[in-house]
Amino acid sequence: MHFDPVANMQLLVSGLAFGSIYALVALGFVLIYNAVGVVNFAQGEFVMFPSYIAVTFLLPAITVFGTVVHWQLPIVGVYLLVLVLMVGFGLLFNRIAYHPLRDRGWMPVVISTIGVSIFLRNAAQMIWGSQPIVMPSLFAVDTISVGPLHIRPQDLLIIGVTAVLIAFQFFLFERTTLGKQMRATAQDRATARLVGVRVGRIVAITFVYSALLGTISGLLVAPLFTVTKEMGALIALKAFAASIVGGFGSIPGAIVGGLAIGVIETFGGFYISSAYVDAIAFIILISVLLVRPQGLFGERVAEKA
Amino acid sequence: MSSADDVAAAASGLLEVRGLVKRFGGVTAVNALNMTVRAGDVHALIGPNGSGKTTTLNVISALYRADGGSIRFDGGELAGLPAHAIARLGVARTFQNIRLFGDLSVVENVMIGRHVRTRVGFVGALLPGGATAREERETREKAHELLRFVGLEHVAGASARSLPYGDQRRVEIARALASEPRLLLLDEPAAGMNPAETDTLVVLLRSIRERGTTLLLIEHDMNLVMSVSDRITVLNFGQHIAEGQPAEIARNPDVITAYLGGTLDAA
Repeated sequence: MHFDPVANMQLLVSGLAFGSIYALVALGFVLIYNAVGVVNFAQGEFVMFPSYIAVTFLLPAITVFGTVVHWQLPIVGVYLLVLVLMVGFGLLFNRIAYHPLRDRGWMPVVISTIGVSIFLRNAAQMIWGSQPIVMPSLFAVDTISVGPLHIRPQDLLIIGVTAVLIAFQFFLFERTTLGKQMRATAQDRATARLVGVRVGRIVAITFVYSALLGTISGLLVAPLFTVTKEMGALIALKAFAASIVGGFGSIPGAIVGGLAIGVIETFGGFYISSAYVDAIAFIILISVLLVRPQGLFGERVAEKA
Repeated sequence: MSSADDVAAAASGLLEVRGLVKRFGGVTAVNALNMTVRAGDVHALIGPNGSGKTTTLNVISALYRADGGSIRFDGGELAGLPAHAIARLGVARTFQNIRLFGDLSVVENVMIGRHVRTRVGFVGALLPGGATAREERETREKAHELLRFVGLEHVAGASARSLPYGDQRRVEIARALASEPRLLLLDEPAAGMNPAETDTLVVLLRSIRERGTTLLLIEHDMNLVMSVSDRITVLNFGQHIAEGQPAEIARNPDVITAYLGGTLDAA
């Protein structure tokens, strides 16, 4: 096998970019799981749906409900619009899919999130049809040259935005009262409520925050692929694997697990076979579970099981 | 208790429990309980195991919902309010089984208790800058001050889980005080403490009262109860059997029967 430092560097950047997307979606999983004790199976649709809304306003012409519309707006304005809409989406999701079932145990909530996922995929097909749609990116060129390297600016954007979001989250959790309330709620909801934390509001904020993490992932990754109703499912599945690799419930675990899966599958796709790219995440998952069942950062597997 | 006493107590009652009922299935844990806690007092709630003391505290703080009766705090009804609203009105508590946030540091635990008195909303909290940073700093300073008050400032940065039992109890008290409660509910604060720790606790409870906080205390350590309490309510089988000053309670025949008679009969 020929060892090429330039190629490896390019693979690393690309792998970190995909890994960043997995990490952001994995964070969404973990934050919701910590707040309400349930895996949100609609997490992938938190990526897919805002991507469709974005392309609706980014393209000069697009078919919506069988009618061609021309709603093109400036790209930064569209990003802001989608983020604002997804705040409402997060609140609505909490109110409809979680809140009415919150005292019924975890199973009804899981079924409810699966239901929302199916609903949103079918709604997307009804509204935008089944053809894959290409999302424009912020950048005019696909690749730029940095010395001998050819790098996609979108990859750098993904890595940069993810780094900023992780720093923001650290600030939020460690340096703000809201973040401490979120951590307290994650650890013990009953006690948090008794010391005066408005747990219902913290849960709503968590859903909004997870929806925004998904939205940002979608806006960042969609220009590299296409927007389809299935786009969220595969990302979410790998992000879910990433959060288990990291130790489910662990925030650093979600980040490290996501980055690791992104990097390893990119190298694996290049050196082994690109046909196996999507299997690599699960090979990593199974290997980690065999050697360290609690995940890289996991502690109390018995409680989480 | 004389009827004049009753009127005086009712007039200055910070917490007035009237006809409180709590059932678990067929078991009536609290049965038509009346109790008045006067502002500024250390008020002890005592009784044999299973007499409904902790249940009463849990109903007051809305961990359980009452099946009947009223709980008036400073003139307003607490029954039916959610737990966080009661905390915001100025009722804080500690737990028989310590319930700290183990993964948070000691000072962060106290800060959580403080936030019901902070004002920056959740949008404000997400915006970096002046108000959030200032409030965070003030909250942290206040938390350090309270840790100094309970004698734990030196472990502020440690994770709450790592502290010895007696210290965890004092962190819980600091967390409860952080909300500036007018009424502090303490569920067996001396449980599991050695005599030296209990002595420190007595001093602490007295200085909390001197800060103007009213205390409602459940405790099995009778020396502690007799030395800190202004008034005592005695429960048996969920019912109020006596209320009065420590000296009156100590010679009340019903109380002596409840504590000793049952045991002797059973033996």
